[in-house]
Amino acid sequence: MSDIVLQSEHLTKTYRSGDRPLTVLDDVSFQAEQGTSLAIIGPSGSGKTTLLGLCAGLDVPTSGTISLMGFKLNAMSEDDRAYVRNQFVGFVFQNFQLLPTLTAFENVMVPLELRGEKNIAAKAKDWLARVGLGDRMNHYPTQLSGGEQQRVAMARAFMTNPRILFADEPTGNLDEENASQITQLLFEINREAKTTLVLVTHNLELAQKTERILQMKGGKLVSEKILINN
Amino acid sequence: MIEYIIKIKRIQKNIFQDAWVWKMAWRDGRHNLSRLFLFSASLITGIAAVVAIASLNYSLQDELNRNAKELLGADLVINSNKKFTNEIFSAIDTAKQKIAEDADMASMVMFMHTKQSRLVKLTAIKGDFPFYGEMLTLPINAYQLVKTGKYAMLDESLATQYEVSSEDSIKVGNTIFKVAGVVTKIPGGGGLTSTLAPAVYISLDALDSTGLVQFGSRVGYSLYIKTTTESQTKLLIDRVKPLSKKLGFGYETVEARREGLGQGFRSVYQFFSLLAFVALVLGCIGVASSVHIYAREKRDEVAVLRCVGSSGWQAFNIYFIQIFILGLAGSLMGAALGVGIHQIIPYAFKEYIPLKLEFAISIRAILEGIFLGGIVSILFTLLPLISVRFVPPLTVLRADFNAGKIRSKSKNAAIVLIVLFPILAAAYQTKSFISGGFFAVGLGVALACLTAVAYALLFLVRRYFPTNASFIWRHAMSNLFRPNNQTRVLMVAIGLGAFIIATLNIIQNSLLNQVEFTGNKNQSNTILFDIQPNQKKGVVKLIKDQKLPVNQVVPIITCRLKELKGKTIEEIQKDTTRIPEWALTREYRVTYRDSLTSSEELIKGELPKYVPGKKDSVRVTISEGMHETLQVKVGDSLLFDLQGVPLKVKISGIRKVNWPKDPPNFIFVFPTGILEKAPQIFVAATRVDEPTQASKFQQALVINFPNVSLIDLRLILSTVTELFGKIGLVVRFLALFSIVTGLIVLAGAVINSKFIRMKENVLLRTLGARTSQITKITLIEYAYLGIFSALTGMILSLGGGWLLTRFFFEVEFAVNTFELLAISGGVIFLTVFIGWFNSREVISTPPLQVLRKES
Repeated sequence: MSDIVLQSEHLTKTYRSGDRPLTVLDDVSFQAEQGTSLAIIGPSGSGKTTLLGLCAGLDVPTSGTISLMGFKLNAMSEDDRAYVRNQFVGFVFQNFQLLPTLTAFENVMVPLELRGEKNIAAKAKDWLARVGLGDRMNHYPTQLSGGEQQRVAMARAFMTNPRILFADEPTGNLDEENASQITQLLFEINREAKTTLVLVTHNLELAQKTERILQMKGGKLVSEKILINN
Repeated sequence: MIEYIIKIKRIQKNIFQDAWVWKMAWRDGRHNLSRLFLFSASLITGIAAVVAIASLNYSLQDELNRNAKELLGADLVINSNKKFTNEIFSAIDTAKQKIAEDADMASMVMFMHTKQSRLVKLTAIKGDFPFYGEMLTLPINAYQLVKTGKYAMLDESLATQYEVSSEDSIKVGNTIFKVAGVVTKIPGGGGLTSTLAPAVYISLDALDSTGLVQFGSRVGYSLYIKTTTESQTKLLIDRVKPLSKKLGFGYETVEARREGLGQGFRSVYQFFSLLAFVALVLGCIGVASSVHIYAREKRDEVAVLRCVGSSGWQAFNIYFIQIFILGLAGSLMGAALGVGIHQIIPYAFKEYIPLKLEFAISIRAILEGIFLGGIVSILFTLLPLISVRFVPPLTVLRADFNAGKIRSKSKNAAIVLIVLFPILAAAYQTKSFISGGFFAVGLGVALACLTAVAYALLFLVRRYFPTNASFIWRHAMSNLFRPNNQTRVLMVAIGLGAFIIATLNIIQNSLLNQVEFTGNKNQSNTILFDIQPNQKKGVVKLIKDQKLPVNQVVPIITCRLKELKGKTIEEIQKDTTRIPEWALTREYRVTYRDSLTSSEELIKGELPKYVPGKKDSVRVTISEGMHETLQVKVGDSLLFDLQGVPLKVKISGIRKVNWPKDPPNFIFVFPTGILEKAPQIFVAATRVDEPTQASKFQQALVINFPNVSLIDLRLILSTVTELFGKIGLVVRFLALFSIVTGLIVLAGAVINSKFIRMKENVLLRTLGARTSQITKITLIEYAYLGIFSALTGMILSLGGGWLLTRFFFEVEFAVNTFELLAISGGVIFLTVFIGWFNSREVISTPPLQVLRKES
């Protein structure tokens, strides 16, 4: 059995809605092993994105524990969690989330620059070439199409050789053709890099490309399906 | 699964070690340079004002230190209101020192070519004054001619006003002098001195021939001494000092003159520097408001950075570096502008400055300005930028995610520093913590009031705005409430400038109104003084012959205080008493009567009545205010020296005196029956309404009673008006900095909301709005802003003006509506212009361009 990269135990998240508490995640436990892929699916408001945010250390649970690469995230400060993200995590978002004031090339370099690594330009160029944007390195996000922006985001995510990649509706803002290309690229690189992939999506077709599907409803994990063929 | 060590040992880098934050600051800032520059531009005017005023101060202080002797004209000056005795001359050892003398007094002069007359400061000079500095005359030999005793010189302003040329002559007392020329520069003269009391110079030897010096005449005698060495000056001061108390004269050293002038300049500097500081604080508020919006817009980008591993401090540092560098750039530009303004000041305000200023650049003022700019750009942007530290990374997934209220030590520290800054900075400017504290509190109250008025105005306008108004008017109004529009900040910033200018205007009008004597028709406006007892009847007859009312003929007796509540003046001086020296040693001019005048009201005790023969029965009344200065109350005793005769009195009552009303008024009033036999002179008061009648009357007075002087209160009115005009110019100039700062903040706000406005306009165009309609909406929006800002300033200035006139100046509150409307009109015009100028792109951008950008 491979190493556990992500482990969540009895995760609960409650927000205040006016005067009343609103539980958006209720006692969710699951784990993900190194190099595997899983999809979290469910209708809007089922708690998928909240679960992804907690797993990636973007927020802390109200109760329960979350371990990422052995680090107990809920016991750590925000800055320490940022450090863990920088060291082990990659992200791909539905809205691409590129920094608009930086070129594609600069965007890709940011995570490694944050680590303080030197001589990273060649690596960034390689990654941009890998996602098919070798000739558009000096373009700003506003000068790129949606598909191109998502490719930059993927290059940025894989630039740090992450142990785990969180993808939130990565094709949600793309047309069919671009979505297909991005999906292919994402799974291809993921397989090569042996990265653990945690994917949140509405798209069942996309979810079925992973090895495991977790079904959420009303903040609870209602079912788990293992897809043997993948 | 391997359990990793939970405690992470991250390498913490400070801002100087972390090259990445500098790189990111540049990468991010290069796209926002013009916008960021506008933030720092808000600082430029404030720093420019501070640097210009500080440079002027340092130049003046340097000049004072360099040319102190030239200001005095001698090494030592001895002053007395009595003729100098031989005892003084022998103490000075006149054989060894160079000396010059002068005597000055108020006197009437008649300009023979027009037969006009005027009260002047008559200065009779003897000797080679000045020993230091120079007396510049036109022609050059004018003073030589004056020394002959047949000629007189005039201050340049006086000669210009009465169109006097060297062909003319003037009558001073009984003597007619030919005009030798004009004095353009003299140590201790010129500037404001000649505005308040223009001087006529004659020879001291010719003074007696004028017949002006009679009993009761107020003549000031001065002896100018030039020594050969500093030690000699010191020796001389040591000899003069003990004599000064004994013989009752004063003396002034170069150091004292320098200190006195320096203190005067410092007070003025402190006032002006605080006005400049107001502009700076306004700029800071503008910067803070803009940076607040900037930081809010950067939330998404910060969330991404946090997502990929940036710490909160790293994200903060990126924007902090941008703002700090641009703040510094703004300070540098402000300092450069300040240096430029400083070069103009000596030209613009030369009348206020008795020194010739060098065009020196004050490095100290520049460094202070840059330092201040650096500090304020850090302090005032700290609070909005600190919020960057706490942007939750979850925002990348949920844009509306709110982490709730953040409590942080750095935020609390920033709030404390922001509160402390105005106090410390004002304390530094005024060199006093108490003054600094008062100023900071005052500024805080003013800003709080402006904010409250701005909120109230907007609330009322929104609530009561007519719902049936046309679309354009309604839409322009709703634009004011657009998110991030900074409407309230703009109203406060522009309103504060309008408030300063309007308050000054109200005070000016109230004070002038007080001098104008427009109320009571019977109130005196012409005062005749130095009337000798044997001239009393003649002067009264002259007034009546001219068909003028004799409102008052008042006897005046001069005396000094010898004892206060049983203690001698010398004993009181030795005490740590807080009674000011001038109140103890001055010459008091008292009168006697048994009733109150129309300008008096008895507020404590009773009016005294003299009972002859009864021991210890002499009682007097004292004016309100002076009893506090002398720290006396009803029942306390005083001992007066009435020209050598001691007279013990008790205070029987305290009078409230409306000093400007129906002059002359007095500090001490005796009852009748005591002073009638004492040597005395008289003052008469009348009212002359027509200028031609006034001129005829003055002419007759100078011819018949040349020693009697006349104060035309209308002339004082014009002098006060002129003085206000000059001082007001400086205050308005500095208040303008506040308005300009407000307008820069406005330009920043317009640019901040540019994209939102473009999107609104696109929507309007899509719905069928024409360019002319969009232009109208824009202009009306800024007209509203201008009107509300002006109104905010006006409402507060009316309140502030009323408080100041009622409780500080104690005069009637008077408003010139037309002038206030003109000020408001100016503010509205500037607001509309700046708003429109910066919105041109917004109005003219094609809709498709915006839609593309949006998509």
